[in-house]
Amino acid sequence: MGQDPDQNPDKHDFDLAAFRARQKARNRALGLLLGALVVLFFAITVVKLGVQADKRHGSSLLYDSAQHG
Amino acid sequence: MDLVSTPVRLPADWRDFYALTKPRVMTLVIFTGLCGMLAAPGTIHPVLGFAAILCIAVGAGGAAALNQWWEADIDAGMKRTAKRPLPSGRMERESARDFGFALAGGAVVTMGLAIGWLAAAILAISIFYYAWVYTVWLKPRTPQNIVIGGGAGAFPPLIGWVAVTGHITWMPVVLFLIIFFWTPPHFWALALFVQTDYAKVGIPMLPVVAGERVTRRQILLYTLLLVPLSLVPWAFAGTGAVYGVAAAALGLVFLALALRVGLRHSVPNDTMKPEKQLFAYSVLYLFALFAALVLDRFV
Repeated sequence: MGQDPDQNPDKHDFDLAAFRARQKARNRALGLLLGALVVLFFAITVVKLGVQADKRHGSSLLYDSAQHG
Repeated sequence: MDLVSTPVRLPADWRDFYALTKPRVMTLVIFTGLCGMLAAPGTIHPVLGFAAILCIAVGAGGAAALNQWWEADIDAGMKRTAKRPLPSGRMERESARDFGFALAGGAVVTMGLAIGWLAAAILAISIFYYAWVYTVWLKPRTPQNIVIGGGAGAFPPLIGWVAVTGHITWMPVVLFLIIFFWTPPHFWALALFVQTDYAKVGIPMLPVVAGERVTRRQILLYTLLLVPLSLVPWAFAGTGAVYGVAAAALGLVFLALALRVGLRHSVPNDTMKPEKQLFAYSVLYLFALFAALVLDRFV
C-alpha cells in the first residue's frame, strides 16, 4: 500500500507552493486589469470633458452671433 | 485557515477566466461591432470608439461566462466542450457565475456612461438574450433554438452603429438581419457533424430532432434568404460597387457550398467534409462581408 497523499507533508508543501503561485498570477492579472481600467476611465473622462467644452463653446458662439447680429 | 494541514484546492488560473469568455467567438463579435461602427455615418472619438468596442467584447464575454455557468453539466457530456474550465473541474461554478455577472454589469454601465444609454440598453438586451433567452429558455426546449437565439450574435453591428449615431435607422437593422439569417446555416452545419454530442446530452438540435434531411433543407432555405438579404445594403442603402460585388461573389460561394450540403445524404462513417467546409466558410463569409462594407465606405 502506498502512503496516503493527504498524509504526505511534501505533497502539501508542493500544493501550497502551487496555490501561492496561482494566487500571485491571478493577483498580477487583476492588478493589470484594474490599472488598465483606471487609464481607460481617465481617458474617457478627458475626452467627454473636451466634447462638452466644445459644445458649450460652440453654443456660446452661436449666442454671441445671435446677440450681435 | 491552516493551509498546510488541509488539502489545498488550486484556485482557477486567470487563463481559465479568459477561456470562459469564449475568445474565438469574441473575435467575430468585436469585428462585426467594429464594422458597424466604421460603416455608420458620422465619427466617434477614437477613445470612445475603443471603449464601445471593449464594452461590446466584455459584454459578450460576460454572456459567454454565464452560458458556461448554466451549461456546465451539458458541456461535461460533450467532447467538443468537455475541456472547458467548468466541466474539467478547473474552476468552481460560482466563480464563473460571479465573473459573468461582473463582466456583463460592468460592460453595460461603462457603455452607458461613456457612450450613451441607448447603446447600453441594446448591449444589455443582447446579453440577456444570449444568457437567458437562448441558453436557459430556448436551447433545451426547441430545435428552433439557433434561429431565434441567433439574434444574440446579431446585435454587435447594431450597437457599434448606435454608438456613433445615437439612434437606430434601418441600415443597422439590415446588418442585424444578415447575421440573424447567417446563424442557422452556420450552426446547423456544425450541428450536422457534432450531432451525436448534442443527442448524448439531450439538446434538441434540429439534426437530432428532425433528422439530417430536414436540417440540410433548412440550411439551404436560410442561405437562399441570406444571399439576397446581403445585397439589400447595395440595392437600397447606397453602398457602392465594392460591397455589392463582394456580397454577390461571397454569397454565390456560400450558396454553392450550401447546395452541396443541402442536396447530399451522409453515409455510414461519413467524414462530413462538405458540412465542415460550409461551417469554416460561413465564418470567413461574415468576416469578408463586413470588411467589404467598411472598405466600401472608405473607397
